[in-house]
Amino acid sequence: MYPFAYTKPADTAAALAAGARGGRYIAGGTTLVDLMRETVERPGTLVDISGLPLDDVRDTARGLRIGALARMADVAAHPQVRSAYPVLVQSLELAASAQLRNMATIGGNILQRTRCTYFRDVSAACNKRRPGSGCAALDGYNRSHAILGASDACVATHPSDLTVALAALDAKVRLLGPDGEREVALTEFLLQPGNTPEREHDLRPGELITAVEIPPHPKPLRSGYLKVRDRQSYEFALTSVAVVLHLTGGVIRRARVAAGGVGTVPWRLNAVERRLTGERPSQRLWEQAAEVAAEGARPLRHNAFKAELLKRTVERQLRTVGGTR
Amino acid sequence: MTQQARPVAGTPLSRVDGRLKVTGRAAYAAEQDAHAAVRGEVHGVIVTSTVGKGRITGIDTAQAAAQPGVLAVISHLNAPKLPYRPYRGEVDPARGERLRVFQDDRVRFFGQPVAVAVAETLEAAQHAASLVQVTYAAERPATGLDAPAGPPNQSENYQRGNADQALQQAHTRLARTYRLTRENHHPMEMHATIARWDGDRLTVWDKSQFVRTVRGELAAVFGIPAESVHVISPFVGGAFGSGLRAWPHVAVAALAARQVRRPVKVMLTRKQMFTGTGFRPLTEYKLTLGADERGRVTAAVHDIRAETSTYEDYREALLTQGQMTYTTPNVRQSYRSIPLDVSTPTWMRGPGAATAAFPIECAMDELAYELGIDPIELRLRNEPERDPGTGVPFSTRRLRECFRIGARTVGWDERAPQPRSKREGHWLIGTGVAVATYHTARAPAQALARVEADGRATVQCATSDMGPGTYTSMTQIAADALGLPAGRVRFELGDSAMPLAPPHGGSMTMASVGSAVQDTCDKLRKQAIALAVADPASPLHGAPAGDVVVRDGRLHLRDEPGRDESYRDLLARGKDGRLEARGGYTPGDEAERYSMHAYGAVFAQVAVDERLGMARVRRLLGVYDAGRIINPKLAHSQAIGGLVGGIGMALLEHTVTDPRDGRIANPNLADYLVPTNADVPDVNAIYLDGDDRKADPIGVKGLAEVVIVGVAPAIANAIFHATGRRVRDLPITIEALL
Repeated sequence: MYPFAYTKPADTAAALAAGARGGRYIAGGTTLVDLMRETVERPGTLVDISGLPLDDVRDTARGLRIGALARMADVAAHPQVRSAYPVLVQSLELAASAQLRNMATIGGNILQRTRCTYFRDVSAACNKRRPGSGCAALDGYNRSHAILGASDACVATHPSDLTVALAALDAKVRLLGPDGEREVALTEFLLQPGNTPEREHDLRPGELITAVEIPPHPKPLRSGYLKVRDRQSYEFALTSVAVVLHLTGGVIRRARVAAGGVGTVPWRLNAVERRLTGERPSQRLWEQAAEVAAEGARPLRHNAFKAELLKRTVERQLRTVGGTR
Repeated sequence: MTQQARPVAGTPLSRVDGRLKVTGRAAYAAEQDAHAAVRGEVHGVIVTSTVGKGRITGIDTAQAAAQPGVLAVISHLNAPKLPYRPYRGEVDPARGERLRVFQDDRVRFFGQPVAVAVAETLEAAQHAASLVQVTYAAERPATGLDAPAGPPNQSENYQRGNADQALQQAHTRLARTYRLTRENHHPMEMHATIARWDGDRLTVWDKSQFVRTVRGELAAVFGIPAESVHVISPFVGGAFGSGLRAWPHVAVAALAARQVRRPVKVMLTRKQMFTGTGFRPLTEYKLTLGADERGRVTAAVHDIRAETSTYEDYREALLTQGQMTYTTPNVRQSYRSIPLDVSTPTWMRGPGAATAAFPIECAMDELAYELGIDPIELRLRNEPERDPGTGVPFSTRRLRECFRIGARTVGWDERAPQPRSKREGHWLIGTGVAVATYHTARAPAQALARVEADGRATVQCATSDMGPGTYTSMTQIAADALGLPAGRVRFELGDSAMPLAPPHGGSMTMASVGSAVQDTCDKLRKQAIALAVADPASPLHGAPAGDVVVRDGRLHLRDEPGRDESYRDLLARGKDGRLEARGGYTPGDEAERYSMHAYGAVFAQVAVDERLGMARVRRLLGVYDAGRIINPKLAHSQAIGGLVGGIGMALLEHTVTDPRDGRIANPNLADYLVPTNADVPDVNAIYLDGDDRKADPIGVKGLAEVVIVGVAPAIANAIFHATGRRVRDLPITIEALL
């Protein structure tokens, strides 16, 4: 680990000032400390924001607001979240381990970095870690890598479960920086690699995530998250699917479907949503919709199975959430 | 002979060191700096190669050495030439030479130690190690069995009858190839060594299953007498075989300590554990079976290839199973190790047996379906009466009973034989079975026992307790032999100054060390009795020694319990105030007269998500014929651990090598998967009552290895029964079942 300075600002203004001076924010530390140990991350100054008052979960006029410093475990246990958004709760409870969920925050979860083992190994080529050095995963061991949204520069997946649920809920990220407050849709906040895989998000220098907001959804709302992995717990997704459906009169009025484990960012399945909208639930519909889930997939040597697995995961979760009446 | 009215051996005594362990007071290797003798230690962090083959062209240590607190950066450029006298311990490969640390510029595998940074603090040493710049002339390493680094090593062969002819004449033939991936041990405790020199004497606190080989190897490396090396290893946080050999980091710690003239601690990182402490080798096993129409296997041809390093020819007992499990009159076997640019593989729980059982027990299952015979019935039709390889009788072999009890327990008879015949929602449910065997090994062992004036006993042997509960089981054996309550017996281990022990592996500790402890304590008890009956001041004076028994710390006449005295009273009159005995155990020629193995029937019930390919074990049961069980609680913990390890082997564990440079592509426990609690819902083991007095004086056959054997094929067979899909490559992943 490289030597670093550590400060713990007393309030948000002091934190922003420290951030503006080039400090790296640290909250639960479950990603950053790990990567510092591997010398992948070498921050000069850590700005500990864990004492800032950004951990509340509450209803606002703009929807449900989840403070960036709320812990994963606390959000998963929150009664309002549990009653309104099962998809969110499930994505949290299926992630990481109980110990990590007690430490990790919502803001940190969004910013967590990829599990690509070449990214995490400073002796390997990685354009995300060292732009221009190449991508060792492209022709390397890439079973866990992305089939959607990848480029020749980077094929790493975004590892979060939560952001898949948030993408399906049209969540927005609230940001506070030297130039004031702004709001960005989660799906626009996280960036596909293109030729600049080192740019993972639309966070400006010194900016802080203060909250995630979920806009009001029409009711009744059905939702759920399915995660497919080699073992039963404590593993990142091979594929995962978040489904959010609004049905009235036996017709799907609105559908939101997002996938994880397959994309360089949480991946909204727009083609699937289009197939579903205005239709009546049926096994046939789920199959037809799932058939287009992997459109545009670009499989690599070890992850070609993910395209078929993704379709099946979508089909299963549509059936689970939507039923077959 | 047990003296106790109610012997403590055979009872579920809780671990005598349990409290120390759960309260954090048991000091493991890296924690021995709490020990006064190790104060003033400094830290060494190893720098490993980042190419898989080639030569080191330069090492720039300027930046590292300039860091505050850094004492030295040692590599082949500045390390002394070390004697490295020839040394080959029982656990070392029979051919080849160990890796010599920092003695030349050659890189033999990715992850090889190339330097060590030594600093006052761990943090400074870690940082300095990350700043060492090594440049290489790299070559592409050989990492696959089909593109080896050199010609295959000489093959190991076996033959009985004429397998080729018998295959020609067989009613049914089946030729299959099975592949087992490389697995790492990954005990929870990282390997660590603290080394301290006092002149030419070296003391090492190490994580080891075999302190004697650590002593022998370090003496050879530094060219000093074995008596000058003292190895201490009281607690081991799991090892599964990784602690049998002395790995390069042990020599690195000793070398660094000598260079900086301070005690040095070296602890491997989890990543370094992948290349620094051995692994179960990648193995390809081709098996051809011929059978008659009634399912009797008439011929078997086994063709095996497994990886080894370029510098050592590691072999394991891959041929045993194919010779003694089934009657099969015609057998031909060939086993070649293939040199690759990798570190040397090593013993991992159930070595050889766990690997060979996968192809053999899967092929038997395939044959059963092919012939429409129940998989258990097929095995029983091939059950031998004598060892078919050697012709000698079995010491004990109760596999039929294992099957009967297991089948009854899991309701095997209600199982519909056809694949895909049981379904729950989107889960397909299957049940599979496999045989487990592991040879009963015994080796010479010695012990020292003492009863002190306070009536308490101490028993010592340089063995280890990597988790099976050696401290506890030996306490039980000693307590019964001495006629003392277990609470007044202390068993000590893990010190090279103690009496000789065999490697703590291969399931031989209970039989070997247990028999030595029994012999030693028997001697001590008889010594005490002899002293009493000869002592005019003893109430037992003049009694025939054979009529005196010892119970609960009191010596008394068998038929007149009132005529007695305690160890304490007896010793109070003696001039030393203590009694001491040395004893031991040396196996005789039993292994020539009998075929000795532990057996098991393993049953697995597995659910496979029909569309999503996820395989989840629902139930695992092992029924074992392992001889006498000294402590059922420890045995159960041992068995559960082995069965869970088998789940990992079947479905999860997989060390991935990147063929471009030999890099391990999943070098952490988030990517190298082992079962979690959620993956082991219902795991159980049953032990047949009885013992095997032909195998050793205390009647045990060994349990640690046999409990991982047969699990992977039982699961693979259950997956076939569930889905109709036969997967012959381990681990069985989602993509194989889509």
